[in-house]
Amino acid sequence: MRKRTGISNLYLLFITVMMYLPIVIVMIYSLNESRISSVWSGTSLRWYEALMRDRTVGTAIINSLVLGVLSSLAAAVIGTLGAIGTVRSRFRGRGIMAYLATLPMMTPEIILGMLFLAFFSLLGLPFGMTTLVISHTAFCIPYVFMQVRARLAGMDHSFEEAARDLGAGRARVFFDITLSLIFPAILSGMLLSFAMSFDDVIISVLVTGVNVNTLPILIYTRLKTGITPEINALCTLMFLATLALFLLSHLAGRLADRRQHGKPHPAPAAGGPANV
Amino acid sequence: MQGKRRSRGNAAILAPMYLFTVIFLIGPFVYMIVLSFLTRAETWGIVNTFTLRNYQKLLEPVYLHSFGESIRLAVYVTALVVLIGYPFGYFMAKLPPKARGGLLLVVMVPFYTSSLMRLYGWIIIFRANGLFDRLLMVLHLTDAPLKLLYTYPAVVVGMVYALLPFMMLSVYSSVEKMDWQLVEAARDMGAPPAKAFLTITLPLSLPGLMTGVTLTFVPSMGLFFVADILGGNKIVLIGNVIQEQLMKVHDWPFAAALSVILMLMMSLTVWLYRRVTGVSEMEGFV
Amino acid sequence: MKKSLALLLALALCVSLLAGCGSAKTAEQPSVTQPAAEGNEAEPATEEQKAPAAAGTLNLYTWADMFDPEVLAGFEEETGIRINYVNFDYDETMLAKLEAAKGGDYDLVIADDYIIETVIAEGLAQKLDREKISNFSNINPIYQGQFYDPTDEYTVPYGSGVQTIVYDPALVDKEITGYADLWDESFADSIAITANYRVMIGMALKVLGYSYNTNNLDELQEAAELMYKLAPNIRLIKDDFVQDDLISGEVNTAVMYTSQVTIAKITKPSLAVVYPKEGIGFGIMGMFIPSQAPNADAAHAFIDYILRPEVSARSYEYLGYYCTNQAADALISDEYKEFLVLPAEFRAEDMEMIENISAEAAEKQADIWAQFKTLCGQ
Repeated sequence: MRKRTGISNLYLLFITVMMYLPIVIVMIYSLNESRISSVWSGTSLRWYEALMRDRTVGTAIINSLVLGVLSSLAAAVIGTLGAIGTVRSRFRGRGIMAYLATLPMMTPEIILGMLFLAFFSLLGLPFGMTTLVISHTAFCIPYVFMQVRARLAGMDHSFEEAARDLGAGRARVFFDITLSLIFPAILSGMLLSFAMSFDDVIISVLVTGVNVNTLPILIYTRLKTGITPEINALCTLMFLATLALFLLSHLAGRLADRRQHGKPHPAPAAGGPANV
Repeated sequence: MQGKRRSRGNAAILAPMYLFTVIFLIGPFVYMIVLSFLTRAETWGIVNTFTLRNYQKLLEPVYLHSFGESIRLAVYVTALVVLIGYPFGYFMAKLPPKARGGLLLVVMVPFYTSSLMRLYGWIIIFRANGLFDRLLMVLHLTDAPLKLLYTYPAVVVGMVYALLPFMMLSVYSSVEKMDWQLVEAARDMGAPPAKAFLTITLPLSLPGLMTGVTLTFVPSMGLFFVADILGGNKIVLIGNVIQEQLMKVHDWPFAAALSVILMLMMSLTVWLYRRVTGVSEMEGFV
Repeated sequence: MKKSLALLLALALCVSLLAGCGSAKTAEQPSVTQPAAEGNEAEPATEEQKAPAAAGTLNLYTWADMFDPEVLAGFEEETGIRINYVNFDYDETMLAKLEAAKGGDYDLVIADDYIIETVIAEGLAQKLDREKISNFSNINPIYQGQFYDPTDEYTVPYGSGVQTIVYDPALVDKEITGYADLWDESFADSIAITANYRVMIGMALKVLGYSYNTNNLDELQEAAELMYKLAPNIRLIKDDFVQDDLISGEVNTAVMYTSQVTIAKITKPSLAVVYPKEGIGFGIMGMFIPSQAPNADAAHAFIDYILRPEVSARSYEYLGYYCTNQAADALISDEYKEFLVLPAEFRAEDMEMIENISAEAAEKQADIWAQFKTLCGQ
């Protein structure tokens, strides 16, 4: 028995190391002095300095953050209401609605990008943050929708029934009970949406407009002149920031739980499954 | 009376998603279908004349080949992702709670890192005289660079790598909330571990597997930049064809026709998968 | 669980809000510092007088990394105009966007020659006001009067390049003089080419003695047969960072763009550069102002600024393409000189630009290319 856990732990370790290997390598190469990635000409921070001077990068990061937050918020509202509607209501089209809600997830990004570009041109919508938020919201909805729906399906309805029996109104029951029960699912759906939005290249490059250069667009469009080391430095910093944010939230979550329960609580990490 | 009012209230709840979906999803899809029957303009743009040319053009061997190639690659990638990702998700869910939380954190972080960055890392590893080559040469397994980059296996590795977290997390979330008493009961009744796994654990984790497979198979047909970056542009997937028709050839009607067929294939695959496994719902992922 | 997630989200929100405030502040900064800069030097004073008319934002739309950040910062400091640098990946993306915006939204675009021809034909560009471009005469006349803008009314060139073969003599036994040599069997699985199919099929057309811009389908078919024979030699097809693969030894020969040749030669001087004997494929990037540009004054001011010899010299050293500003040639440092100034031996009759061809021929080329790539992968 012990031997078996040994093997499974070894497997987990091996795959985890493999997952981090390319990231670590990019981090190491961000310190490469040479402009060409296949030549190692010494350690230097020059690309970090170049990065600090480059104002377009800062703007792009801000745009990406704003876009990620806006579209994950919009997806959370629409996706949550949609999930509640399809689970609770009896109307005939709900099967189709459920299919449509997850459709963007089953559509390759390049097709979504083309669809939105063609359609927004047809409507004459000005390209920019609005079109970006609409299209990102569209491909984020499925993540929130599925999370919340799974949570609702596995939920114990006795609380809601009890509340209603005690005379609480529908709105009251929804806000006080239902919402707080599905809140973790909404949040993890939002986080996932944020990650998807923050990393999206293909759709963004097609539906963005003047004023909005997102980080992935910036990275991807350095094709013509091909200067990478700065990008390595940028990716390294972004990675470290993400890591720090995750660790912080993890620790804070544990601390809060400990205070609440008076003893360590097996709190799963941020972004954990909807059902925990 | 009460029931009817409630049902109507619930229908109202659906309104935002209903409206959004109709306007920003069905609208564009319908336009795409229309577009696929229009004619390409001489220099730039589209002419509103009906034609079947775009669908006839699909039947040319080059394009049929790339459909075939895409399906083949997607099948390989999905199979590998299942083989590697399922045990990972399964083992992860069986870890003690504290370790599980930590590992989940560890798995989530790369997910939030730029996918382009992760791909460039692989280039450095696979490159001629790169890290992998040097490792093999130090170990005296080879004595010359292997030329691993820009090959079919490199593309497969890149795709598996990019899509693996989806499978791990889907399977994990399915196994994690499973009722282990059923497995214990089976074991108590004398079922060997393998049999208990096959008859109880596996079927119960199918919804998660389903999500993982969908999230792997679908993107692997369209992830053109992996084939570009790690395959040296020589592996022509349907995603690459669409991208090239769209961005370089600017033949939008043909790109639309390719997309329509690809969408039909996707929907058919997902439907077949559901029929075969009997799983109708995708599981909440992550 | 819930708390930790909420916290993370709140953090992300705060960060983005803070960042948003920060950006608003930096946006205002140039105009705040502007009065202080005024009168410090004699020369920029004339710029300052123009500034009120041109102030605001310049929406610059082009590929990433086309300008040294300090060149851009210099313009902002001098004029108080904030540059909003927006990127596209392909020329076609730009055209689609410009069509959608009906020639508005963007103030200045830099793109490739052939697409500018379409832009002008569609009425999406406006005529330049030469009065506002005092440095117009600095442009090297070699790059003027080209097919996409025969009378130079709409564009100012910004960089030019030729298709070049570069190889590593340490790894190649043969001396390469032209495209035809690439078909040699000794190059099996060891050549990198660019992903621009007009350029690559053009290579076969050149070997056959035809024009890049042929509309003759029989000639294209001949080129197709020839291209398919090249497939076994191709290891890599890509536009970006090809120089890395040549330097690492991934490939021993590459067809590449001028900016890549510059980086490659500076990093590894032993590489051999070949201007193919069959003829030189030549391309120009041009700056133009969209027809409904919100701030055409700022765009003119920027064009004029870039055309200053010292600014140009600095920009081209960063960019790595041939300098299209003859007044800047003398200011380019020796390290870069040989790469940034068009070689003297180039004669106009050897050079041909890639122009738009008939839809039928374009479609044929796209099909040839798809077939060729498939063969390369087998």
